[in-house]
Amino acid sequence: MPIRLLPSGFWLLIPLMSNVKLTIDGNEIIAEKGLTILEVARRSRIPIPTLCYVPGTVGDPACEICVVEIANHAECGLRSQLKTEGLFRSCATLALDGMEVLTSSEAVIAHRQERLALISQKHFGDCKAPCNLTCPGQINVQGYIAHIAMGQYEEALRLIMERNPVPFSVGRVCPRFCETRCRRILVDEPVSINHLKRFVADWCMNHEIDLKIPKERPTGKRIAVIGGGPAGLTAAFFLTRKGHDVTIFEAAPQLGGALRYGFPEYKIPKEVLDYEINSILRMGINIRLSQRWGTDFTLQDLKDMGFDATFIGIGAGVDLPLDIPCTENEHVYAATSFLRMVNLGKRPDMGRRAAVIGGNNIAMEVARSLVRLGVDEVTVIYPRSRIEMPANQRNIKEAEKEGVQFLLMASPVSICGVPEKNFRLKLDLIRMKLGEPDKRGKRDVIPIPDSTNSLSVDTVVTSLGQRAVAEPVVKGGELEAQLALTPRGMIQANPRSSQTSVDGVFAGGDAASGPKSVIQAVVSARRAADNIHAYVMQQPKAPAESRFNFTRGRSFDDVSLRNFDGIGVQLREKVPERPPETAIQDFDEVKLGFTEKMALREADRCLSCGCTAFDRCDLKRLDIEYKVNINKTGMGTVPHYPIDKTHPAITVDRNKCIFCRRCERVCQYDALTVSAQSVDEYGRPVGLEITFGDNCVSCGKCVDNCSTGALNKRSRIVPIQSEKVRDIRTTCPYCGTGCQMILKVKGQTVMEVTADPEVGPNYGDLCVKGRFGHNFIHHPDRLKRPLIRRQKGMPLEPVKWDEALEFMAQSFARIRGEKGPDALAGLSSARCTTEENYAFQKFFRAGIGTNNVDHCARY
Amino acid sequence: MTNTINGIVDSDVMLVIGSNTTETHPIIGLRMLAAAKKGARLIVADPRRIMLCDRAELWLQQRPGTDSALINAMCHVILRDGLEDRKFIEERTENFAAFRESVADCTPQWAEKISNVPAGEIEKAARIFAQAERAGIYYTMGITQHTSGTDNVCALANLALITGNLGKAGAGLNPLRGQNNVQGASDMGCNPTFFPGYQRCDSPEARRKFAGIWGVELSDRPGLVATEMPDAILEGRLAGMWIMGENPVLSDPNSDHVRRALEKLEILVVQDIFLTETAELADVVLPAASFAEKEGTFTNTERRVQRVRRAVPPPGEARDDLSIINMVAARMLATGHGHSISMDPVFHTVPPLAPEIFAEITTCWPAMAGMSYERLEEGPLTWPCPTPDHPGTPILHVDGFPRGRALLSAITWQGPEELPDEEYPLVLTTGRVLYQYHTGTMTRRSRVLEDAAPGPYVEMNPDDARAAGVADGDEVRASSRRGSIVLPVRVTDRIQQGLVFIPFHYREAAANLLTNDALDPHCKIAEAKVCAVKIEKTVTEPAPLAL
Ligand code: SF4
Ligand code: SF4
Ligand code: SF4
Ligand code: FES
Repeated sequence: MPIRLLPSGFWLLIPLMSNVKLTIDGNEIIAEKGLTILEVARRSRIPIPTLCYVPGTVGDPACEICVVEIANHAECGLRSQLKTEGLFRSCATLALDGMEVLTSSEAVIAHRQERLALISQKHFGDCKAPCNLTCPGQINVQGYIAHIAMGQYEEALRLIMERNPVPFSVGRVCPRFCETRCRRILVDEPVSINHLKRFVADWCMNHEIDLKIPKERPTGKRIAVIGGGPAGLTAAFFLTRKGHDVTIFEAAPQLGGALRYGFPEYKIPKEVLDYEINSILRMGINIRLSQRWGTDFTLQDLKDMGFDATFIGIGAGVDLPLDIPCTENEHVYAATSFLRMVNLGKRPDMGRRAAVIGGNNIAMEVARSLVRLGVDEVTVIYPRSRIEMPANQRNIKEAEKEGVQFLLMASPVSICGVPEKNFRLKLDLIRMKLGEPDKRGKRDVIPIPDSTNSLSVDTVVTSLGQRAVAEPVVKGGELEAQLALTPRGMIQANPRSSQTSVDGVFAGGDAASGPKSVIQAVVSARRAADNIHAYVMQQPKAPAESRFNFTRGRSFDDVSLRNFDGIGVQLREKVPERPPETAIQDFDEVKLGFTEKMALREADRCLSCGCTAFDRCDLKRLDIEYKVNINKTGMGTVPHYPIDKTHPAITVDRNKCIFCRRCERVCQYDALTVSAQSVDEYGRPVGLEITFGDNCVSCGKCVDNCSTGALNKRSRIVPIQSEKVRDIRTTCPYCGTGCQMILKVKGQTVMEVTADPEVGPNYGDLCVKGRFGHNFIHHPDRLKRPLIRRQKGMPLEPVKWDEALEFMAQSFARIRGEKGPDALAGLSSARCTTEENYAFQKFFRAGIGTNNVDHCARY
Repeated sequence: MTNTINGIVDSDVMLVIGSNTTETHPIIGLRMLAAAKKGARLIVADPRRIMLCDRAELWLQQRPGTDSALINAMCHVILRDGLEDRKFIEERTENFAAFRESVADCTPQWAEKISNVPAGEIEKAARIFAQAERAGIYYTMGITQHTSGTDNVCALANLALITGNLGKAGAGLNPLRGQNNVQGASDMGCNPTFFPGYQRCDSPEARRKFAGIWGVELSDRPGLVATEMPDAILEGRLAGMWIMGENPVLSDPNSDHVRRALEKLEILVVQDIFLTETAELADVVLPAASFAEKEGTFTNTERRVQRVRRAVPPPGEARDDLSIINMVAARMLATGHGHSISMDPVFHTVPPLAPEIFAEITTCWPAMAGMSYERLEEGPLTWPCPTPDHPGTPILHVDGFPRGRALLSAITWQGPEELPDEEYPLVLTTGRVLYQYHTGTMTRRSRVLEDAAPGPYVEMNPDDARAAGVADGDEVRASSRRGSIVLPVRVTDRIQQGLVFIPFHYREAAANLLTNDALDPHCKIAEAKVCAVKIEKTVTEPAPLAL
């Protein structure tokens, strides 16, 4: 029942007086009589939050979010029907003369918080997908998988590049944090997320796609980036996008850093890397190669050159030494210099037997490279157990598959001894065992006395970790001397602000954090880019995104298996790879990547966990605004209803419905009913039904007005998060009504269409074509290149614009010459713009000299 | 439209004729439904029981092609009973005597014989319409796509004039444009007889004016209208064509004829966003931009000029249509800014760009002279808008007509060119469905729309179905003198006996293979809405025996 709180006899007053005077939050306001407090406030631009409000209607049951306090309610003759005396629903209470309204008093805030908490308790769903939350880069994984499922590979890559500019490399070497938390594990196996990423990157490379990544207007600020590896490239990419003029200084003769000199070709082929780097450079970035910091220039030099800020992203390329006697031997290498040599294409004689000392990821690449260099026996030596090796288990397995052996619980003591015949080195080892656990339960390894052992080898490579700089101070100048380092030889930088101890100098990536995965370097450099932007523009940093999140269950144990009712087992696609026997013969890539068919099948496995209403959910927005801690006050934990996909345009998830019934009240066709078997004492529904009548015309207005993700556009399967969405106001391309619409654009993709209720001729209405008929914009069938048929009977073939224009111009000129201008004609289109139509007829009339020009309005 | 879309809500009576508004113009349909809810009286004249009929006070189920008979009879009743607006007729119209004469014999009984609408209902409709304070007329292709299309429109104008329903809110004569920018394309002189702004090419004065603006002498030879072009090609008069954003192979009546003609061209250039049926025949295909990839304006059915704004760049090497025209012009004529390559790294536009063209447009047509992109940024403007401080003109003819007085025209009803006979006993009418648009180039590639209306069908009355021996869902062959197509049948009493309906969006059963390309003598519009057809059950070949 709509509640209207009116003093008795009020109706009699209306015709007599036309205005009321009241105060809202102390502001005196004169308003027309007969408006609700909410309407008066909105017209005076005083915000009052609402959930169930639809202009011109009253919600039932009431959400009570719009409550306000009426300080003098007794004088106004009002009695509250809400729990707290003095609070009233502003959407259902008329503004009266003399009223004193408070929109955000303590009581009001408390009431709103309580109501939001109660409503949120019944709301069940994931805001963000677990994969998305687990990825250090916070990449919109679900989103790009959805693009892939629709065949929109270009869009998928653009979405990835919003947060990660090196998808080719990451798609090949990422440890795949996301896959460990993929919900699909509860059905069968995780989605093969990383291979999908690699697929789109490769697809776009093979199809020569120009991603057309837009840049902001030039800021006039210049930024120096030291180091052209993943961190440096990432910082340069994001800073360039922001409109800064960026120069990369790289010590090596080529860009790429660890991607080029750390990962062997069987992991990241050089041609792929070159393509990746070029696509970043195409944004317009200056590069200075073979410029070593400290030798060729100093931080002061950069300042003097006019750079407004400097980013240090030099990676961690200085090997920690092996501290045993006789390592000064030409057959003893350190990991990074060894890999650099291999990656430069050198193939020195490594002998028949080699030992790799260390158990990190780099050690695995060293071992696998040794195998490829013809070494028969490669042994990795590590003082702890296999499970404790810092290398990724996947990398360990891959090395093992290629014949690498592991000598565990052993540590080298000397390389001074005389080797067996035909070998070059004798490596003395000692066996290790676990010691007593320390305070934190960690057990150190200790040598077992008298357990020495030895191994004759030809080559030893040590991989014991890296630091960023060799010396305790950086060589160079005064500023370098001020640059603080960490005890482990990294550049000290505040993890939040990326600031080093020198003003205007920032650091990120492995150089600051020590060796980590590529995606972590990307994240750190992206953060640094944001910080540098704020620094040079003297702007506050954009606030960090809220961590607020509804979830179906934080850990796998919390997730109800009922979520997966009706989902059949479909195992993940196996990525084709070369068998180890042949793979070890050369440095060519081992994993071949998904075919398009496989990628499509794999993308289909995604359960689309996250909410596609992420960008428009009112409940989440208000919960955040009112600081409701749903982790304490509670949220839905089990699904009560299956997801309903029977409507052609709209997907319904009743588990997310908060029973505000806005959808029902905005439908102009009276085609929707939302009902409940009963409501509990707080107005929350039990046994919810949402039904579309036969008269539903799929206009989608209900979806655009849903408070949550309970109603969703079926075609809108990419959640919009983080990066801002551009609203482009334009005119509908279909019928002649000329509805005004808003295209929501992310990157270069039109994600959805909505309409502004304030703007005519349609005032928020759109038909099914307007709201849903935009997929064609990004359809794979779009014509993307000019085509010509060189001769009648021959097929159309793609050509460059130049050739197509020349062909056309010559043919037209010839016909005009031979048969006169009236032998040519033009048909223009009622779908093109007015300007295009004008230019078209002008071309025929003024250019060709004929009036043979018409359009097809007759049909 | 002489009036506005949102003004519909203010009307007392709506006459919707030959327009399935809720499907073809859903938002205008919504306004009609809202007006009906508020108490406006709705009269629908349509051979099919369209959705609006459910809310109508009166549904006149005329035979296709008999509209002007119906309207003339309504006028007859109004004059007979003295319901006309004498003051309006005296002050603002001319030729009344001849007009009165022309409808003198058009009695409701006469019209009943022709249109099959009971005389009593015609009388009733006339009275409801004439007695309203504000009565609006709404129509679309159902009125114009006939050999008598021009006459139909004149008849409706007569009705509006004698009842004084022009120049005020909630009334008017309102053609609902079927495509987003039909209005703009017409305004801009994409038409063989008019320069931009409806200035006639055969007027020496207009030619002088445009020669001045464009800096070249202009031809006084009349041009060909689109519907005449196929014959001109087949007769060897036309050798090269450039088709921008149209798909006549699917949208034109008697499309087989069109296809044969286009194939005979020495050069056909098609510019489009997809490889349409027409583009498949081309010698040069130029990849163009969708509405979301260009800047410019569309003019809606209310004459309201509204901005189109670029949201994303065109895919691959595709270019916006204006830049393509500029590139061709630069290449062929060394005009424009002389650029044939782009300086814009992301959008690849080639000048002169839309704002510059728009400024040129405002110099050649007084009705848009007061508009500019700056003003449009603040909101749309409705022409006529002659000066920079003019607010635009949402309702036409408030103070008078451009020619002083409006002409009442004497119309004699003429039947459609092709009538059903023994061989082709049914009348075919074509149209749209809500979920699809035109030849489906865009809608059929938008999943929701295609899923909702995935395939063609022919609507047939239960009696006709019984006579033809077909049941709902059967596959049938629909044939006319020009061609035949195979599609499933939908048996429904929404359609009257003797009539069948086929939506024309579908290439797999293109309705326009059947339709008639006979032309209206005045405006050369083809009679796509009426032709004679037969429907037969397809004989299914016995499946080959499996071994
Ligand atoms: S099923 Fe899809 S959305 Fe869910 S966690 Fe896995 S990849 Fe992410
Ligand atoms: S899609 Fe449109 S017609 Fe259907 S229920 Fe929603 S608002 Fe109503
Ligand atoms: S579906 Fe959405 S709009 Fe409708 S009642 Fe539920 S939450 Fe509210
Ligand atoms: S009760 Fe007022 S907005 Fe919900």
